[in-house]
Parts: sequence; C-alpha cells; structure tokens
Amino acid sequence: MSDDLEKLYQSTYTAVVRFLYRKVWDAERAEDLAQEVFVRALAHRPDKPRAWIFAVAANLARDEARAAVRRKRHLTLLKGDPIAQPTVSPSADDSVEHDEKMASVQEALGTLTPRDREILLLWDAGLSYPEIAAQTGLAVGAVGTTLARARRRLVDAHDRQQNRTRLGDNAAHS
Amino acid sequence: MRHIPEDELHAYLDQGLSRSQAVEIESHLAACHSCRATRDSIAALRDRTTALLATLSPPRRLPPAFDSLRERAADRMTTRRRHARLGAWAASLVAAVGLGWTASALVGPGRIVSLTERTAPPVPALDTSAPKASVAAADTDEPRQGARPAPSPARRLEPTPVRLESSRPIPTVTQALEKAREDSIRAAKLAVLDPAPVLELSPLELRGSEQDKPLDGMWRTMSWDGAQSETGRSVPHIDGLPVLRVQVQATDQNKRPLMVVAQQLSDGQVIQTIEGPAADVSELLSRRGGTSSDGKLGVTVSEATPGIDQAMAMQLGDRMLAITGALPSDSLRAMIRRINAEMRSK
Repeated sequence: MSDDLEKLYQSTYTAVVRFLYRKVWDAERAEDLAQEVFVRALAHRPDKPRAWIFAVAANLARDEARAAVRRKRHLTLLKGDPIAQPTVSPSADDSVEHDEKMASVQEALGTLTPRDREILLLWDAGLSYPEIAAQTGLAVGAVGTTLARARRRLVDAHDRQQNRTRLGDNAAHS
Repeated sequence: MRHIPEDELHAYLDQGLSRSQAVEIESHLAACHSCRATRDSIAALRDRTTALLATLSPPRRLPPAFDSLRERAADRMTTRRRHARLGAWAASLVAAVGLGWTASALVGPGRIVSLTERTAPPVPALDTSAPKASVAAADTDEPRQGARPAPSPARRLEPTPVRLESSRPIPTVTQALEKAREDSIRAAKLAVLDPAPVLELSPLELRGSEQDKPLDGMWRTMSWDGAQSETGRSVPHIDGLPVLRVQVQATDQNKRPLMVVAQQLSDGQVIQTIEGPAADVSELLSRRGGTSSDGKLGVTVSEATPGIDQAMAMQLGDRMLAITGALPSDSLRAMIRRINAEMRSK
C-alpha cells in the first residue's frame, strides 16, 4: 500500500506541484504544499489516493489564498520601504519574454469563473472525467460542457489580450 | 442528420465518454464531413489550451525522497495520538453546548457505540421523576458504559431542543479545563429537565485493522446531483464540507437506498456518513476490515489511521445512520446528531 503511494508520488508529484503553483503562484510554496499533501496521504491512507490527493491540494490552496489575503494587507503597509532593484543579468531577455508570456496566460486564466478554472486545472493535472466529477460535485456529463467553455474562454481571452498588446505596440511606434 | 454538439466532441477527445457513446460518435464522424471539421478545430483548441497552460509551470526540480515524507508522516502521527485525548475533551464541550440527543457513553478506541433509539411506549408521568435528573449530573466522575435505564418518555422523529450530555472526564485536564467542565455540567443539569428519548448504548467490538476492500458490483459511485435526485434530496452529509464521493447501493425498489458519503475535513481527514436499512448498515460496519471474503457489502468504510479510528451509529426505526472517521468519538457523536437533526428537518 505504501508502495502504491510511492509510485503515485513518483508519477504525480510534478502534476500536483504544477496544480498548486497555478493557484498560489509561488514555486517554493507549491512544492511545500505538495509535500504536505503526500505526508497527509501517508498518514490517512485514502482508498482512492489520486483523487484524494488533488482534493486535499485544492483545499490547501484555498486556505493558502485566504492567508495570502491577510498577508497582503501587511505587505501594503511595508510597501513604502525602499527595496533594492535586482540587477539585470545578461540572459534576462529570455526570462523576461517568458515572464511576459506567463503573465498574459495567467491573466487569461483569471477571466474564467472559479469553477471553470478549477475543472480546467484538474483536467490538465491528469484527472479523468469521473474523478473531476467526484471532486467538484458536477455530473460526469457536465464535465465536457464545462471544459468546452473553459478552453474556449481561455483561448479567446488570451487572443484578445495579444491583439490589444499588438495594437498598443503599433500605437507606440507610430 | 443530427450533428454532434461541441461539448460531446470535447468529451470524446478527452476520452470521457462510454465505449458505446464513443462508437456512436465515431460512426457519425465517418459519415459527416462537417463534424469531422469541427472535431479537428476542437482538437486544435485543446492543444492550444494545453500549450498555454504549459507556460504556467514552475521550474522543475527533483522531488524530495519519498522516505523523508514517510518520516514526516510518522512523526506527525505520534504527535496526533498525544493530542487526541485533549481533542476528545474539547469536542465533547462542543457537543455538550450545541447539539441534540441525550446520550452518554464512554467510547474507547477500537469500539463502536451504537445509539439505539427505542420506541418505548410513553410511561406515566409519575415514573419519570427520580432517576432522570440525576443521571447526567452523577455522570461526571466515572466513565460510563453501556445502557442507561432512563425511564423518561420516548420521543421519536421530532426535532429536539438543545439537550445535553455530560462529558468524558480525562485525568490529565488542566485547571482551566476543569472549570470549563464544571460549566458544561451545569449546562447538562439544566438541559436534562427536558424529556429525552430513551437511548440504549451498546458498545460493539471493532474487528481487525483497516484494510481497503474493493467495491462490489452492486455499489454505484454517483455524482452528488444524481444521488440527490435518487433519494429525494436527503443525502446524509454534513453541510459545508467538500464531498469526495457518493456511493449508493439500491436495496428495494421502493425504499431509499443504502448510501455512503465521503467528505473531507479541512485538514484532509476523511469522514464517511452511512445511511440505510439498519441490517445492512450494521453489517457494513461490522464487516469493515473483517476477515470474511464473500464481501457482498465489502465496501471500504474507513480510510483512517488504525488505532484511533471510530465509528458511531444511530438507529431510527428500521433505518440506521452511521459515521466513521479518525476523530474522537465525541466529535463523531456530535456530527451524527447534527446530521440526524438536519435530515429530520427536511
């Protein structure tokens, strides 16, 4: 049984980290939480570990989001303090481009309703329709409908945004 | 010719359809050019979504060794056991102040306590006098077990006002807790003035360890909505907790089926609520982790940590409501009362 969990750990750890990262937007925090999820799985021995793990991950991310709201209030207070600017490294061009791309997808994802977003992320994490249905309380038949809508919205929002950026660039050049 | 709706094509490409549905779609696609084009554009949309989401990935790092997580889990379980007793006490306070039925029994780890509500005929008012008021009050120093021969009038299937129960004493409580206990005793004395249903508490042995057992054919895992429509809206559960799964076993056509609802507490712990014909539920409970392999009711009832797992059952007529989970018995008792009250009020 423990071996089963270990296999699951090897095969899904990365997916769990990614799933969490798309909710907390902090790579280290996502890793901490993913490990926490597996530690709990070891203690609780769920009988459907894969679905269980993503359900716990979703819960932890929700708690994390609440805590983040509290922290944010604190951060605004500290904002006035001067912060040393990081120096730009020679290879920064690539990473800046990647960061921009990421920010735009993140923004597009933010236009989805929480439920559509959750289902899209669960699907992308590798859960099956029945697993998604069980976790979200949706009927299995409704998962396809939700995914269809979520995919369409994500791509549309992203395209709109790219068009806006391009228009903005053109305006700046002329 | 009816064309295939887009969401069905999504489900088809996601392999979220049954074999027969997929075959139906394939045969339509073979004949319909326009649907093939739609399928291709949806396939492209899927790929784009995946590509976009792929940019939202953290830098890949090697996962820590699984053994280090094992150690963390082991450490935590030792700590949790130490805290369990204190937790039981705190939970009993909550139960004492907030919730329903009068009952009292000490439940140790590894035992099931079944609260059987009897349908005793009402007794003349004279008989209800002496022992009743003293029961909860006298209940505080020694742990009680087994049935309480309370001669109060039985009351069935009515929502009951706040009524109380004395709590389980723990030898190591601090003075602050000691004081809180006195408060709850006082509350118990007040509450016991209300006529209580007759409850019989019988401890049952819990067999064996908690091993997962495969579901047998008669069980169906359902969506929440499906379960609600099947049972006429009263799926046994605790409001406000995420539902992991609903399993249903149909018994009789006209009766409500046997249901197992798994829900998750905020710390990841799973509790399961079971409702169904009394005989089936008690069989399910007694079989969990049992040795029999014919297993008609071999559903996994617990995924909790061995050693601190508990189950609590309440019988109402020919139905039984039960809850299992690795929680202090007092918490389970509080939950079962709440579910019972909620199901009755619907």
